[in-house]
Amino acid sequence: MSINPMNSTPIRSETSGLKTDTLFLNMGPQHPSTHGVLRLGLTISGEVIVEAMPDIGYLHRGVEKLLETRTYAQGVVLADRLDYCSAMSNDLAFCLSVEKLLGAQVPKRAQVLRVIMAELNRIASHLIFFGTYGIDIGAFTPFLYAFREREMVLDLFEMCCGARLTYNYIRPGGVASDINADWIARCREFLDFFKPRLDEYDTLLSFNPIFLVRTQTVGIITPKTAVAWGLSGPNLRASGVNYDVRQAEPYCGYEQYDFTVALGKTGSCWDRYFCRVVEMRQSVRIVEQALSRLASGEIMAKLPKVLRLPAGEAYSHIEASRGDLGVYIVSDGGLAPYRLHFRAPCFINLAILQEILVGKKVADVIAVLGSLDIVLGEVDR
Amino acid sequence: MMPRSWPTEVWKDPWSLPRYRAGALWLGGILFGIVLISAVVGELCVWGEKLFAFLSHLGLSVVVVDWIWVLVKLGCVIGLIVANGLWAVWWERKISAHMQSRLGPMYAGGFHGWAQTILDTVKLLLKEDITPASADKVLHALAPVVAIAPCVIAFAPVLFGKELAAAKLDIGVLYIFAFAGISVIGIVMAGWASGNKYSLLGGLRAAAQIVSYELPRGFSVVPIIMFAGSLDLAVIDQAQAGYWFGFFPRWFIFYPVAGQLSFLFFLIASVAETNRTPFDIPEAESELVAGFHTEFSGMKWSLFFLTEYGYVMLASFLLAVFFFGGGAAPLPFLRFIPSWIWMMGKAMLMMFVFLWFRWTFPRLRVDQLMEFNWKFLLPWCFVNIAVAGLILAWGMR
Amino acid sequence: MTREKVLSDILAQVPGASAAAAPVKDYPTVRLSQPSDLPTAARLLKDELGFDYLEMVTAVDWLGPTKTEGFLPAVTPIPFAAKAPALPVTPAAGPDIAYRPVLDLLWSFGNLKTHLKVFLRLEVSREKPEVPSLTGLFPAADWQERETFDLFGVRFSGHPNLTKILTPDFLQGHPLLKDYVHQPDEFDAD
Repeated sequence: MSINPMNSTPIRSETSGLKTDTLFLNMGPQHPSTHGVLRLGLTISGEVIVEAMPDIGYLHRGVEKLLETRTYAQGVVLADRLDYCSAMSNDLAFCLSVEKLLGAQVPKRAQVLRVIMAELNRIASHLIFFGTYGIDIGAFTPFLYAFREREMVLDLFEMCCGARLTYNYIRPGGVASDINADWIARCREFLDFFKPRLDEYDTLLSFNPIFLVRTQTVGIITPKTAVAWGLSGPNLRASGVNYDVRQAEPYCGYEQYDFTVALGKTGSCWDRYFCRVVEMRQSVRIVEQALSRLASGEIMAKLPKVLRLPAGEAYSHIEASRGDLGVYIVSDGGLAPYRLHFRAPCFINLAILQEILVGKKVADVIAVLGSLDIVLGEVDR
Repeated sequence: MMPRSWPTEVWKDPWSLPRYRAGALWLGGILFGIVLISAVVGELCVWGEKLFAFLSHLGLSVVVVDWIWVLVKLGCVIGLIVANGLWAVWWERKISAHMQSRLGPMYAGGFHGWAQTILDTVKLLLKEDITPASADKVLHALAPVVAIAPCVIAFAPVLFGKELAAAKLDIGVLYIFAFAGISVIGIVMAGWASGNKYSLLGGLRAAAQIVSYELPRGFSVVPIIMFAGSLDLAVIDQAQAGYWFGFFPRWFIFYPVAGQLSFLFFLIASVAETNRTPFDIPEAESELVAGFHTEFSGMKWSLFFLTEYGYVMLASFLLAVFFFGGGAAPLPFLRFIPSWIWMMGKAMLMMFVFLWFRWTFPRLRVDQLMEFNWKFLLPWCFVNIAVAGLILAWGMR
Repeated sequence: MTREKVLSDILAQVPGASAAAAPVKDYPTVRLSQPSDLPTAARLLKDELGFDYLEMVTAVDWLGPTKTEGFLPAVTPIPFAAKAPALPVTPAAGPDIAYRPVLDLLWSFGNLKTHLKVFLRLEVSREKPEVPSLTGLFPAADWQERETFDLFGVRFSGHPNLTKILTPDFLQGHPLLKDYVHQPDEFDAD
């Protein structure tokens, strides 16, 4: 199936005898709602999609190849730049994989810090989703509310590691810098500010009748389809499949935290949206628990400055903001990974688009694409 | 690194911040000033009669005097539409900004960005006018004109105060609706001539939407026409003068059931007619980029914008006249304030409702929009007419 | 169901399968002997053992260290130094970590109920890498197989749309192969 505008097949209307034709509509890579440089080749008949072909690769930077010639410390920097909306998760997945192959033990305080940062980043990342999804459906105001809160999270990150988007904070063996009492006070202040805002979001967008009409019956993915296409993260859980890596294969001591996994009922766009809103609440709970159990101690394991991993292979995966982010690492005993593969959740989540878009309206394309919450940096790698 | 000021600090007690207090005061002052200016302009309208008398006394022929007179009035209306564009865009920016915890324009002109839209107009005039290679050159140039001309023409019978209108027409309501419907040709033309598939989709959506919503828009005011017994806007305005029990205004919106439903339906249909959120699907920026005006730039583009704001103002004035007593004061002792102040104030309030909608609601889908119109709005408009009939039969008059 | 049980089930029912000598750390890893065993194993995993979640499809080229000609810098912990200190690459060790001209394909299957994971491995020759596609059983394989084809040149027979997905159309070769050398194109000129 190649995207060829000349391939559109004429449709003959049975009743009227009118000869109608399909139209090839090129959505992206320069389009405000494709969340980056995704291109969708849509064949439409009127406003109805006949065929949809996502076309990716515009942001392919060859990260996996580059990593083969970078040391492990340098690899964190590249991992940052995959899903740039939740860079902490990428760092975490990469470092967990390296530590697994190395057999390194991460100090307790570093583990709690990792959980705090990953969950704060999940909040920041879901806030971007919340804001941009509002714009996709036509409501502009939620976007700025979301960014007001995200700004506070980024300020927190800036306070502790100096960066606002690509942090390079979680390193093999622990984390780069410690937090102080002021940071903890600021973090609590943010959480107290943020919780009532979530109720505000619900009244503004989640239960708005127009929003419900636009999303509740659109883009329904059954549990079976979701599993077959390998969806993960909120997209999978919105279909009612209870699979959260934080509970299925706990890492960083997630088994000690008390949180519930948000599950949807029908797998519609609204369920995917609301799963993320509920996840933000749960992340707030996890951060609160983590802050209360933060004990003093080391933040970095004693590891050599220049890491050399033993020959072998390891796979570790985490629940990143956008799904099950896995890192498969092969070492031949050298300075750099011999081969490193990211199981990028966005890449795999996006593939389902070609199936579920058929028969929908042009406006639904945006609603469905937005609800999958992709970041092209991770899709293309 | 310490974070900059957080919303938590501002939100604790915003009124304790001097800048916050000053800003609120200034915004209130500007609103008051606008209303005051409108009042002065309204007072100047008396000079219109004197000008007409002066022209008649010059010994010119009747035809020439009439022509000059029409040109003067046309100039007034076009000036109003342009000034409204400048004002409404600034106001919309300010309102949207404050709804979204921003400040909006703050620098141009030195004070709360009052000169922002004026300078934007200068920028738009200086901008390169681009016609795409694949566009139909003639239609592309013609489309903005076809869109804005009916808008100007439709303002002829609009009442700006008691007895204050460019033309007195017995069929004013019909005239306005008839001309307001023509603009859609300009929009479809723009969509077709741009040579862009997104524009084409936007133009076709606009055609379907505007033509469909003409019906409920027309039918929703039938109860008002029944209450007033005339299509003349001045008569409709007069019918709402006076008070029940000496203090309760006899506005049509206070007529039980029919008045409120009629207001609601007319408001919804008006929002749809002006292509604004939640019915802005012809220009849905997240799907169709900007719909029918994607390929327009510079002044051509701003003509579309002027048309949109012109129609918003038209709808605001109509809402004020139909439902809020036009130039009538809400309470008897306020009657000393001239009618144009009330008119302007009510119209601005209605315009605020339009802006408020836009920055609160998401957008409907095209088929849901149609479904809402044909399956809900139109049937209930008919029911409403029947209700109005019952009210009249029971002698509400 | 435990890891050992899953492993023994697969080994018993798929002819020629063996436990991988160098498994993915902490996960049951099965090595298949020939490409035609793959659909059998996948069907067994999906229909009988409940591994209905295809997590990952990828490959490893075992030819040797990456060629750094073209635009890739040499491996060094100090990238900004004018002359990078050359650090010796440790020679390969272990029974399965031996450089050899093969492509080692890897599939990972998950069971969402028992939270178990199984890795399947299969070695194919670098000259004519061809394996059956799993798109019929797992739609999730669609794009991941296209990615593996694009970056490694593995042909998945039976795939409905085996075309390039990540790299641009004009790019020659398959970048993740260890002997890939970048051919300068129109975009390389300053």
